[in-house]
Amino acid sequence: MVSPRVVLASDEEGGFDALHHSANAYYLDFAPFGKMELPRIFVVQREDGSYGLELFRSTTSAIRTGHFTVELVKDTHEEAAEDLLGESIGQGESAPVHQEQVVHAEAEGDGHAADSGKLTLAELEGHLLAPNGGHIVLDLSISRHLFFAWIAMGIVLFLMTRLAGMYKRGIGRSTAPRGLFQNLFETIILFVRDEIARPNLGDKANKYLPYLLTAFFFILTSNLLGLVPFGATATSNLMVTVVLATFTFILTQLGGTKDYWMHIFWPPGIPTFVKPILMPVELLGIFTKPIALAIRLFANMTAGHLVILSLIGLIFSFASLFGSGAGFGVAPVSVAFALFVYMLELLVSLIQAYVFTMLSALFISMAIQEHHHDHDEAHHGDEHVSAHTEAISA
Amino acid sequence: MDPSALAYLGAGLGAGLVALGAGLGIGLLAGPAMEGSARQPEAAGDIRTSMIIAAALIEGVALFGLVICIILAIK
Repeated sequence: MVSPRVVLASDEEGGFDALHHSANAYYLDFAPFGKMELPRIFVVQREDGSYGLELFRSTTSAIRTGHFTVELVKDTHEEAAEDLLGESIGQGESAPVHQEQVVHAEAEGDGHAADSGKLTLAELEGHLLAPNGGHIVLDLSISRHLFFAWIAMGIVLFLMTRLAGMYKRGIGRSTAPRGLFQNLFETIILFVRDEIARPNLGDKANKYLPYLLTAFFFILTSNLLGLVPFGATATSNLMVTVVLATFTFILTQLGGTKDYWMHIFWPPGIPTFVKPILMPVELLGIFTKPIALAIRLFANMTAGHLVILSLIGLIFSFASLFGSGAGFGVAPVSVAFALFVYMLELLVSLIQAYVFTMLSALFISMAIQEHHHDHDEAHHGDEHVSAHTEAISA
Repeated sequence: MDPSALAYLGAGLGAGLVALGAGLGIGLLAGPAMEGSARQPEAAGDIRTSMIIAAALIEGVALFGLVICIILAIK
């Protein structure tokens, strides 16, 4: 129970700390070949109160030019591991061996920093402090997840402008869609339109379709980029998903009809004394829906990566517990399971893009619907369903 | 006992209970949905859509629980 943590703590360069690997950082990790640091941009408030913009090509240059100092943060779980280690010494025979490993790794890390100009991992991950008593107001540094979000945006922009150009020239409108590229994407776009937008939004589908398609393709591309070697999942960052959910939130509120607001502040058809109780609940409901949307996407995309990395980490846990033979023995099983989870993640990437778009459409439709009270409602519902089944069978 | 040990224990147990609840909820939902679409394949599209919506809502509650577990575990 103790040793997996110790392995995580002792591991300086190899990186089997699952949380650490799927977390955000200011460099691109091309694991066996090295790292590429990303630019750091800071808005700094100086000692005299004036504001300034500081630009650096990399974290290394920010520290090596002597401008910024790095504050080494000690990981909480590293500390916890050391605590556990201290307690377990003398209890188990293997404990001293682990301790040696930790010390060794730390010594190696220090030596690495001293003899070359490169930063250690701890320095790369540490918090930067502004010089001479100033402090960082805004950290606009380009991080790994931002970088991959930009790549995803670039890919979507490139593909969709090319596709739109084809339809503009009449290919696919007056003729059948031509080629693998157009056929593939027309299928997906029609799926979003006919299965997500139209059943939920009805006649207003076309108004919201551009947003739904953009969200769908951006999320799908981001999710899939995380499964590419050296890639990172932008959607496994809570900030990215919160921004996406905010767009849905704004569209929902802007599209809200009089009925929508009335249902929140003065829900009809219930006794008056219940209304003040329901109002805060409904008001809270406005915010919990997009928050759940953001957390769902974030958690799903993070969880898959954590499971894969934990399965790979099992090999090293077993190797350090029972010797390298056990590591080799566990490896095939671990890799097979990791492959299975990887395939599952491919599926989850698609499903989550679908679910996000689907729920966005649903939340928007709940706000833009014109409600008909009294007996009209049942009739209206029937009409809607029959229209829907017609659309599907057509 | 170290109080943080209890927090870890709580986080672990919470994660398990969250999985149990979400599994139960989605299982109860998916079973009849499968049955329904097997009995009436022409309604499979409608059933799938409403199943995914309900599953997403159940999952949403589970995720809130999970986030609390994560906060407990990394604190």
